[in-house]
Amino acid sequence: MVRPDHLTSQIGPATDERSGAEAPPLVELQQVTFGYSGSDTVLDNLELQVRRGEFLALLGPSGCGKTTIMNLVAGFVRPQRGVVRFDGAPLQGINTRVGYMTQGDTLLPWRTVARNVQLPLEIRRVPRARANQLIDSYLRMLHLSDARDRYPSELSGGMKRRALLARSLIYEPAMLLMDEPFAALDAQLRETLHRELLATVAQLQQTVLFVTHDITESILLADRVIVLGTRPARILDEVVIPFGDDRDLAEIRLSNEYVGLERKIRDLLRQ
Amino acid sequence: MTTTDRIATAPNQVSATGPERAPRKRRESGLTITQLWLWRILLAVSFLVAWELASGRVVSELMVSRPTAVAERLWIWITDGTLAEHILVTAQATGLGFLLGAGSGMLAGYITATFRKFGDVVEPAMTALYTMPRLALAPLFILWFGLGIQFRVIFASVIVFFLVYFNTHFGVKDVKSELIATVRLMGANRFAVATKVVIPSALVWVAAGFKLSVPYALIGVVVGEMLASDQGLGYLLQRSANQFNAASTFATIVTLLVIAVLLDFILSRLTGRFLGWRTKGALNPL
Repeated sequence: MVRPDHLTSQIGPATDERSGAEAPPLVELQQVTFGYSGSDTVLDNLELQVRRGEFLALLGPSGCGKTTIMNLVAGFVRPQRGVVRFDGAPLQGINTRVGYMTQGDTLLPWRTVARNVQLPLEIRRVPRARANQLIDSYLRMLHLSDARDRYPSELSGGMKRRALLARSLIYEPAMLLMDEPFAALDAQLRETLHRELLATVAQLQQTVLFVTHDITESILLADRVIVLGTRPARILDEVVIPFGDDRDLAEIRLSNEYVGLERKIRDLLRQ
Repeated sequence: MTTTDRIATAPNQVSATGPERAPRKRRESGLTITQLWLWRILLAVSFLVAWELASGRVVSELMVSRPTAVAERLWIWITDGTLAEHILVTAQATGLGFLLGAGSGMLAGYITATFRKFGDVVEPAMTALYTMPRLALAPLFILWFGLGIQFRVIFASVIVFFLVYFNTHFGVKDVKSELIATVRLMGANRFAVATKVVIPSALVWVAAGFKLSVPYALIGVVVGEMLASDQGLGYLLQRSANQFNAASTFATIVTLLVIAVLLDFILSRLTGRFLGWRTKGALNPL
């Protein structure tokens, strides 16, 4: 089973120690074509790479196939043509090395916060003592220590998001998939959660693939934004976000760089 | 708390959302718990008094007996052990019938909901059996199992089976596929998906099936005893009515009533232990 301490070693340097060559990207979509039965092609010959340790945002209008890309990486669906590679090897079946967080509430309502966060550790048969340690530290990291014994119905929207995040991260997946995870929240709460997400991701050196249709969100969070056009999804352009890991979100939004990036992406989407 | 208060004091809002919605929480009626119970006791007492007064004056005592006579009869039965003897017989058959029916119903419901193809094949048969009046099976069961307790247990369990079966079936089918997908990414195999997600999630429905079927188990046993038995509350009921003894008949009915309420209470407590999370935070506005 994939266990804790592998993570830092895997993500650390982007080079393979044995050969000294560049390690393959964590995820590679090679000439991937996909369509749901009875509908148009959603993805046509798509090429996409997610590098280790990066925060990549997929930005595009609703229905452009962003979620399909996530489902391919998660192994829920298989490409009709082409290959999805994960950590160098073609993906087969469900990808248990990713965490997946959507805008839906998938907390188990009959479990408290702590027991929800414990779920993946139970499934992976992590020893009790180690599991308790992990639960404590993840709850602390996401400011949930006080809510550990509450049921989901007793949580606010923001706390639910944090609990879901803690649960997706606690088994230390090689990659976190986030599909519009904050879409249903009000602007202020979203800002707070953006900050917390970035801090968490930086601390864990977590690779993230983040789907959104919100230009601001993509610029604030990502290291790289891939702008997608509508069906079949095609990559309009790739925009590198130069703000680094240690970014001040409030400052960024006021900067000229931000305005320039936003204009650039807006123009791309308008095409 | 504040939520209910606001609803209670804003009649316009309530009528806007729909006037037919019955208030669920007692406090929404505006009565405190003490007031509520005072009114309930008052209602019961006035009913008994009206009955006592009407008996022999408005209606023949032969038909409706009278509360004091019923109480007297109950007291006699309690002190001479008659009641305990018959209750034991009925309770035993009800309990066994319920366990058997609920157990097999859960198992069958889980199987037909999990193995969809099989479920599709047997669906019409299940629906047909469910729609058929189960009472029609009684003569057949008597033929098969004789007049002993087995017949009553099987008869009750068949009634319970379908109620629990359909609730479990739909409960399992109702589990959000998103939940299952999430858990599979965590590395869950079929067994883990079943034990961590599907079964606990379906439990709400299963519990509803239990609650629904307990009184039916009792009905099944009592009807069985009325049809063919020389013991149990159903037999007592039948015998009392055949002897035109209204007091005894009412005394048996009261006993059945108490047992039914008691069973429901016990079951609510038991399921409440597992479904406690459902009542938590019901008023949390966020």
